[in-house]
Amino acid sequence: MNLATGPDNAMAQPPAARTPGRDESARLGFRLTLPAQVLVLFIAVFPLLMQLYISLTDWSPLDGLSWWMAWESWNNFYNYYDLMRDNRFWSAMWRTFVVIIVCVPVEFLLGLGLATLFVDDFRGKRVFYSILLMPMMVVPAVAGYMFFMLFQSGGPVNDVLSIVFGTRIAIAWLSDPTLALIAVMIADIWQWTPLMFLILLAGLVGVPQDQIKAATLLGASPWQRFTTIVIPKMKAIIIIALAIRVIENFKIFDTLYIMTGGGPGVATETISVYIYKLTTQDLIWGYVAAIALAILLVLSVFTVYAMKRMAAAREVEA
Amino acid sequence: MKRSIPFELFRYAAILAALAVTLIPILWMASMAFKPIGEWSATGVDLTWWPKEPTLSNFRFVFGQSDSSLIVALDRTAMKPILSSLLSASFGTLIAMSAGTAAAYGLSRFGSGQNLPLALTQLRLFPPMAVMIPVMIMWAFLNLTDTWWGLALIYGIVTLPFAFWLMKTFFDDMPREIEEAGLVEGCSRWRVFTKITLPMMRAPLASAALFVFILNWSDYLIALLLTTREWVTVPVYMASLSSSMTGQLYGAKAALGLIAAVPPVIMGIAIQRHLVRGLTFGALKQ
Repeated sequence: MNLATGPDNAMAQPPAARTPGRDESARLGFRLTLPAQVLVLFIAVFPLLMQLYISLTDWSPLDGLSWWMAWESWNNFYNYYDLMRDNRFWSAMWRTFVVIIVCVPVEFLLGLGLATLFVDDFRGKRVFYSILLMPMMVVPAVAGYMFFMLFQSGGPVNDVLSIVFGTRIAIAWLSDPTLALIAVMIADIWQWTPLMFLILLAGLVGVPQDQIKAATLLGASPWQRFTTIVIPKMKAIIIIALAIRVIENFKIFDTLYIMTGGGPGVATETISVYIYKLTTQDLIWGYVAAIALAILLVLSVFTVYAMKRMAAAREVEA
Repeated sequence: MKRSIPFELFRYAAILAALAVTLIPILWMASMAFKPIGEWSATGVDLTWWPKEPTLSNFRFVFGQSDSSLIVALDRTAMKPILSSLLSASFGTLIAMSAGTAAAYGLSRFGSGQNLPLALTQLRLFPPMAVMIPVMIMWAFLNLTDTWWGLALIYGIVTLPFAFWLMKTFFDDMPREIEEAGLVEGCSRWRVFTKITLPMMRAPLASAALFVFILNWSDYLIALLLTTREWVTVPVYMASLSSSMTGQLYGAKAALGLIAAVPPVIMGIAIQRHLVRGLTFGALKQ
């Protein structure tokens, strides 16, 4: 960079670095970021320490003791030992995993397929686009209720099936262990395919058209163009979209809980539902704290990975 | 690029199918909301896809007007939950936007708070379920349980990452020449921020605020854990609506669902342009 250009140069540099008001900047910067820092401390650092402490005890809000007295029921990491052998926990984990493994790829493929149809202009594009995005803006609890109604034994899903198959079908979707899980996943796919569509379309539109034209001139088939130019260009975006959905799906609660409450039995009990039940029904908060910490630890690893990817994508953008 | 006619046909067919799948659940709920009780559940033979005798009785019912055909009357109406949702989501948005905008500006212009991007991203990615035990204890200790202001505080914190990231990408994109001009004229940096930058950023600020509001309004889990009776929000109230006399109050719930679903959908369409940015934390712009 040419340093001798005077006023021009002052504009190019971040003002903080060279103006005499450097102290002022630093002070103002500190003050501006302070509220956010306080909120983060308030919700992250202190609660996590509290959680760690409680997780080492058998404390329950029913004890009548304040949480800081929890040491009276200190149990030497026994909660973590319990966790290893807690079959209900592992089956909830497994179920959450199944939901992720099924929903994320389906949402991705449907979203990508739809997005490829929206790259160039056609009549009605804007209206269709807006409508297709609607499910992700519906309050998840309300979406849960929509699908609860759809899957009633006398509901529209069975009605359509009855018409298609020509006989009266009255499946009790939400009372059957397998079908309930499928219904829950259908609701998730309905609500979140639009997110994939939105992100992937933004990525597709950003793929440089000249490269595609060049490849076309060289005789590449659409499929070849897609796999050799479009997909590699979109790698970072695809990873972000997948990471967001994996993380969100791991938390799946609202729609599912409204539809089935985790039932029948524990057939649709995912990890969030299991923790919710332990928190509000069993009230064994020491154990819940241990589960929560274990999950946070595992997710942290994933998060740092996802963060790096997002940062990399941001670099590319800039 | 010219497309062949078969492709166009395929495209419209695929999009129409997608539109149908997208709209049917929403329309079914809307139709349910206007159905009288006799058409709610189809235990009999025919299912009514469209209300035969459209009525507003479901809406009147959730707002407390007793309806003889429903037998039951509600012990509390939807008024307070709607108020609770509005207050907690609005003030939560205010908290998130104030702290988020200030921090975003501090980082974008003065490089302060380098730890915030990572800290806030982690905050956003963690399941709320996994930190709720300490939050419930703290909220009980601070007398914030079952209050709209307690909800507003936690909403403000939970959506802070979105506010921060959105505003940071907006500030990063903003040309600095105008701010520089303000400084040359002798304004303090604080004056530049409040009198020049913020007014210029009105549109992005509004979009970010709407985005954050939608997220707050959509919450179910946190309100479920932190409110019990007085200040339950619309989704919690809706889920609790059922009666021993009529079973699920389908129509009433659908009416409430419609009330809850309409504002965010309209807002979401209004800020469509910024959705990608908000959802990917600025990793992607549209």
